[in-house]
Amino acid sequence: MNERELQDAVNRLPKSIDPPRDLWPGIEARLGTGAGGGFASWRRRWYWVPLAAAAVFAFLLIARAERSAWDVTALAGRPLIGTRRLAASGRLRVGDWLQTDDSSRALIAVGRIGQVEVRPDTRLQLVVAKANEHRLSLARGTIDAKVDAVPRLFFVETPAGTAIDLGCAYTLETDSLGKGLLRVTAGEVEFQTGSRSSRVPLGALMQIQPATGPGVPYVEEAPAPFVRALIAFDLERRGTRARAVRTVLALARPQDAISLWHVLQRVDPPLRGVVYDRLAALVPPPPGVTRRGALALESRALEGYWTKIQRIHFRIMVLRGVREIDPRTGLAKP
Amino acid sequence: MPQPDDLVARAQAGDQTAFRELYRQHAGRVYALCLRLTGDDGDAEDRTQDVFVRLWDKLRSFRGDSAFSSWLHRLAVNVVLNERRTTSRRERRVMPAEDPAALEKHRGNPTEGLSIDLERAIAELPDGAREVFVLYDIEGYGHGEIAQLVGIAEGTSKAQLFRARRLLREKLER
Repeated sequence: MNERELQDAVNRLPKSIDPPRDLWPGIEARLGTGAGGGFASWRRRWYWVPLAAAAVFAFLLIARAERSAWDVTALAGRPLIGTRRLAASGRLRVGDWLQTDDSSRALIAVGRIGQVEVRPDTRLQLVVAKANEHRLSLARGTIDAKVDAVPRLFFVETPAGTAIDLGCAYTLETDSLGKGLLRVTAGEVEFQTGSRSSRVPLGALMQIQPATGPGVPYVEEAPAPFVRALIAFDLERRGTRARAVRTVLALARPQDAISLWHVLQRVDPPLRGVVYDRLAALVPPPPGVTRRGALALESRALEGYWTKIQRIHFRIMVLRGVREIDPRTGLAKP
Repeated sequence: MPQPDDLVARAQAGDQTAFRELYRQHAGRVYALCLRLTGDDGDAEDRTQDVFVRLWDKLRSFRGDSAFSSWLHRLAVNVVLNERRTTSRRERRVMPAEDPAALEKHRGNPTEGLSIDLERAIAELPDGAREVFVLYDIEGYGHGEIAQLVGIAEGTSKAQLFRARRLLREKLER
């Protein structure tokens, strides 16, 4: 179902639904006991005038302050903003650098959409602070980000590419050359370097390499040999990584479908069919996704497949410890 | 049938018969709103009664600056949202049904039964997402108004709407 079909269905919903029983007797009884009466509220109404005025005033102050700077709180030690030591709290303005040493930490309020905890030995800069774009540049170190907003409002640039928030919580670390790790704990993050990108859902992580940018994501509990094969695949040169691909395919489980979906798009064309067949054997494609479309890397086919893989993965993660989910279908096991 | 303006005026003067007629005319609209905002039919009945008791209390302040139905609608939204804010007795919603049969995609005519499925899916949304979805997509409020009514940031309202639509599409595609 797409957005339009959902909206059409919503428009067809009845505006009125009769209550299953007559509610009037209960209402009438309460009117008679003085629960209503019609006039009591008059005396209380004047309270709202100063309260509303105070709320408007507070809103204007917040809106004004938010335009070009974010609040920063020192969580430990005394982080630096520019050349100034941060005592307890302060403001990070566009262009400012925030730096922590090995014993200091800080918390940044990302406008009104989230927060970033800055771990020790980290250096970052506020690049854009607008309502429709919140952008940091992480030169080195580690941050924990939590964002509650529509996708693509919060970006973190690193030396090897950009993490794009799709409504989530994650930890991102990088060294000054761009080698790093992205670990997602809620929602989903896209990491992009030029035209190459990876999608990392909750419970998954991804290596980042200076030369190649985003690696192939994998689930937290993926077996070590599988992860080593994926990293080898990421690092091998095009044309010489067939062996790594075959190892990845041999070790892959249905839970590793998020990895194979990425591998499918990155292998040399002659190997694409083998990857697709293995992926389809582990998690059958949804209706409408054809082998031909997937091998041609048609976005409709890839997006359709990703939606299914992501939904199954999400159910496994959310219901972990509650229900056992079949990783091939997403249905609860009896 | 008595004219709405006449009924309102008589009810404002304390005429309970007129007020009962107002209830009869508007109960379905108010109940539908309460049902969708709460996601629970028992809560919806309670809130519908609260709305009309509150209406009796507030009726004198209605000046006719807007249509009575719009004014009542806004009052109903406030009653439901205030109730949620001031009480903690609502149980956390359980996860959507895990029965494989319930997860099967609807077959046959694609629109047959869709409204019922959609109502159920709306009821199963998390509280915050459901409130924003009902107010924005069904009742036509803007994000600014919703932010004020619910007591959240406008960006949060947008995020909740995005989340609600995604969850609904997922539920309806099963």
